[in-house]
Amino acid sequence: MAYNIKRSVSLYSYQEEYYLGKLSLEDCIREVAKTGATGIELLTEQMMEDFPVITPEFKEKWFGWMEKYGTEPTCYDAFLENHIYKNRTCTLKEQIQMMERDIKMAHELGFKTLRTLVSTPMDVIKGSIPCAEANDIKICIEVHSPFSLNSGWADGYMELIHKTNTKNFGFMPDFGIFCKSIPSPLREQAIRKGISMDCIKAVDEAFENRVTKGFTKIKYDTNLGRAHHAYMEANGLPQLMEKVNKLGGDKKALDYAFSTFDYTWCDPQDIIDNIQYIYHTHAKCYYTNEAYVETSIPIKEVVDAYKKAGYHGYLSTEFEGNRMLNDAFDVDSVEQVRRHQEALRRAIEE
Amino acid sequence: MYPRHMYKPDGFKNVEAEGKVIGFQFDTRIQYYRGVTLSIIRNIEVCVDGEEFKREDIRFTLEGDTFTLDEMETVISYRWKFGQFATITVLKDGGLAKGKHHITSTQTIAPSYMPVILVHSGEYDFEI
Repeated sequence: MAYNIKRSVSLYSYQEEYYLGKLSLEDCIREVAKTGATGIELLTEQMMEDFPVITPEFKEKWFGWMEKYGTEPTCYDAFLENHIYKNRTCTLKEQIQMMERDIKMAHELGFKTLRTLVSTPMDVIKGSIPCAEANDIKICIEVHSPFSLNSGWADGYMELIHKTNTKNFGFMPDFGIFCKSIPSPLREQAIRKGISMDCIKAVDEAFENRVTKGFTKIKYDTNLGRAHHAYMEANGLPQLMEKVNKLGGDKKALDYAFSTFDYTWCDPQDIIDNIQYIYHTHAKCYYTNEAYVETSIPIKEVVDAYKKAGYHGYLSTEFEGNRMLNDAFDVDSVEQVRRHQEALRRAIEE
Repeated sequence: MYPRHMYKPDGFKNVEAEGKVIGFQFDTRIQYYRGVTLSIIRNIEVCVDGEEFKREDIRFTLEGDTFTLDEMETVISYRWKFGQFATITVLKDGGLAKGKHHITSTQTIAPSYMPVILVHSGEYDFEI
């Protein structure tokens, strides 16, 4: 099928340098342009100083940068802060208002898609669809590991799409669902923390087993914690914990074993099966080496599925390796994004 | 999240009011990957040289305005921005003695979508 796959970068990728004051928002956009990517994805709550207000000055600068660097806004990453008050959850009406605020901001800044988190209640999305339609924004629920497509969880949202027949709500997969192994910097960090090689090996083997056997997918549950717990249990968490315990693993080792359940391997066929509802993609990455190989995610295999499916849209680099490095090292997000963009370019063009 | 870059190296000092040293303060960044309203900062704990301070003795100052930790729970019009330094003041008669000290500070943050609350600490050696 004919495809038109474009490259974007989520500025989330540069968070380490931004946090430390080494890169400004404009610097981040300039770095994206240098990689040859044309799309800019933004977390306004991370890098827009006056959030939730778009000042006329900011708007002018924003579109000025887009022109200067030859880029365009792709995805606006929203957070539904529905526990903004300690003593209660926001009402449905308040949550829809918050979503509408973000949809309007996304539109004002020229974005076409809006990322909403896996935890967004169905009724909030449903209630926000008219606003999304009026503002030409596609709300995309992030398919973030350990959540997955072709799952009980995704079925619930698919039903909403079919019931409302809307073109303004769909999915955005995150490549964290395509991990064939534990991200290498996560394993290295665990070793740095003093976890024994026996435990490291046991955790690796358990992950390999899950990949070979196939992960048991997560179900839909309004209680996210419960769904997550059931998912881990079904994928062998208790057995792994017992093993690590027997090997003399301490709390750090158990925490590490636990954290590896955040990464999953899904069949890229999931992309092909759901392509007509996929409007944006987080090309998550943890470590891309000098040979342009992401050490846990088989980029070519995943991008091939997007090509086969005839995807029209952006693959947006989301580098998240910083937190696996910054306990001990300085992080070079700029270089990691550059390498990952080159890996994407090759997979798309070659 | 960013324990190595949590503190401003030259931000540690004793605080005086009406000619008396009433405590000490330091500048710190949020241990999370975005800015948030103060209402979702559930706690800030401070421990210096093994001495833990009471929640009611801690003050949080952002852009010139100061709140207690209890007051912060209702503050939704101030945001602690990503990468921005806020000032933490700990009320302690006489402040800290001149010389070297070790601090551990822990932030508890409750972003809506997390099934778990985030608790992140960072340590630092400083001199007053």
